[in-house]
Amino acid sequence: MTRLLAATVVACGLLVANAHAAPPPTITAGTLTVGVSMPSDGFQVGVVDGSRVIFAAGLEIDLANELAGRLELTSTTLLQSAFGDLLAPGAKPWDAALAQVAITKARGRNVDFSTWYMRVDQGVLLSQYIERTPRSRAGLRALRLCAQKGSSGARAIRRRVKPSRKPLLIDDVPDLMLDLQLGRCDAVVDDLPSLATAMAHAPRRYGALAGVIRTRERYGVVLPQGSELKRPINGAIRTMRTDGTIARLERKWLEFSTAKVRVLK
Amino acid sequence: MAASTAADRLRRLEMRLSARAMTVVCAALVVLVAPAAAQADVTVYFLKGEQVSTVSRPGTTAADAARQLLAGPTEAELAQGYRTYIRKRTALRSITVAGDLATIDLSLPFVKGRNANNLRARLTQVVYTLVGPQGVKRVQLRVDGGTVLGVFPSVDTAVPVTPSSLETPDTRPPDETEPPERVERKPAKPSAVLDAQRRLIKLHYLVKGDADGKLGPATQAAVIAFQKWEGLQRDGVIGPQTRARLAIAKRPTPITRGPGRRAEVLIDRQVALAIRNNRVTRVIHVSTGKPSTPTTIGSFRVYAQFERWWSVPFSEWLLWASPFNAGIAFHQFPDVPVFAASHGCVRITAAQALWMYRFLEVGDAVRVIARS
Repeated sequence: MTRLLAATVVACGLLVANAHAAPPPTITAGTLTVGVSMPSDGFQVGVVDGSRVIFAAGLEIDLANELAGRLELTSTTLLQSAFGDLLAPGAKPWDAALAQVAITKARGRNVDFSTWYMRVDQGVLLSQYIERTPRSRAGLRALRLCAQKGSSGARAIRRRVKPSRKPLLIDDVPDLMLDLQLGRCDAVVDDLPSLATAMAHAPRRYGALAGVIRTRERYGVVLPQGSELKRPINGAIRTMRTDGTIARLERKWLEFSTAKVRVLK
Repeated sequence: MAASTAADRLRRLEMRLSARAMTVVCAALVVLVAPAAAQADVTVYFLKGEQVSTVSRPGTTAADAARQLLAGPTEAELAQGYRTYIRKRTALRSITVAGDLATIDLSLPFVKGRNANNLRARLTQVVYTLVGPQGVKRVQLRVDGGTVLGVFPSVDTAVPVTPSSLETPDTRPPDETEPPERVERKPAKPSAVLDAQRRLIKLHYLVKGDADGKLGPATQAAVIAFQKWEGLQRDGVIGPQTRARLAIAKRPTPITRGPGRRAEVLIDRQVALAIRNNRVTRVIHVSTGKPSTPTTIGSFRVYAQFERWWSVPFSEWLLWASPFNAGIAFHQFPDVPVFAASHGCVRITAAQALWMYRFLEVGDAVRVIARS
């Protein structure tokens, strides 16, 4: 009887251990296929050939690899995609997507989101040709503000700043930052980490970081609706938040401190 | 029949002779033209200090130029101060020219590394080198056959890059009168600072009029220069050790002798000496080239002076620049650490750069000395 009980316990233990070791179902067995949308300074830059990613580096690339490791998957494959396609309804060619996507209800109608991995506000970076730094949102109203089309920055301009001049909405981030450098934009409103990293890389090309508009957005991993990965990914992210992994990645890739940035009220 | 045979023979002889003549002419042309072809050169862009600097290499095509660029500077060129920022293992996968567009495909090491300055410099080298041969005016970069996105800060490499897009300053020139640097150290007592300033003036680390009792940027730079010359800890603080040494120190003397106005850059001490008639006029706190891009040792002459000099490879303004070896120059820089940190130039603080610029003139001798 004792022997039978012991054998049952061992068998159960093996079953539990096997169940724990089994990686979650993914498009390609053993591989986490991650959708990305390059470039974004500090978060993801690299080399692509169509949707094939030849080389990539940045906070979200490291995060993708960390996630794969914690899900006990042996490799990560990256797929380049247009930002809008990541959030469009329909089937996805990836298991998860990372592209500084803020979790919103509207976006949640087409895709699922994991729990958040970073909390961000919208930064306001001035052109080098703006002499006086606005100290409030009211001070921004007369400026020609720019943001990426469809971004949280564009929404913050529309809802929180309510400018008197029509904002300039630009398709991609490199063009947006170039317009700021050349003075076609007086200020750009975008995720604070991106602006601060761009400024850290080329401080003399921009004016002052005027401040932040508190939006308290949260970046989440984008998942196809009904994804079975949601639960294990949530668990992995929560662990990474508490064990300091995400803080370490921020220190590695984002060269700025937001401690002294003014809040624009 | 016989007549016709003789005529035929004559015609054949003429043909043979003319063929031989043609051969001789062609051979002569080959002999004449071949050396000219061998002498055809492409211009390859490396860096010296903060600016691009060229060397000539044999070749005629964009592919020749690319191969020569990737080969890097020769030992002799390295000794002259030429540097490349392209990683050693970067390989040329392919290059095609269509119209005025060269499309170059390089291997992955080309985009490796996170130093924004180094990345920008290596892209500048490629674009400058490829523009010219075969009428190339624009360069499309590919890496392992793919499009490069966001790797080179502030340069969109998804589209062709032109030299003018790199040359056009994307930042306005800084004002001539820079705001004083912020001094974050705890200031010494005014009387102690004033005493130190008076000694520093006497020893030629400061100039007359600098004794204001405040530990400002000029005084701090002078204290660091003094500490460097005297072999003290380089902290810019007028502490007991520095004060004690100030009391007994002597005016620095030049390492070499030479006529008139000139400058010495002492790599080991990280100071520059402004010299007139073999007497030191002022000792300047400088930061020279870091170990990977050392300032070239040797004797040179200031060949130009620029109030503002745009550095294409590093995309920044250099104020009060006095170049003396291609792109290697004395110039103002916001960050002048107490150790060698530059790309080969001689960095000077805002508090002392204008003085040095005015002291030097085109033609003045500059001697860079490794050990003093």
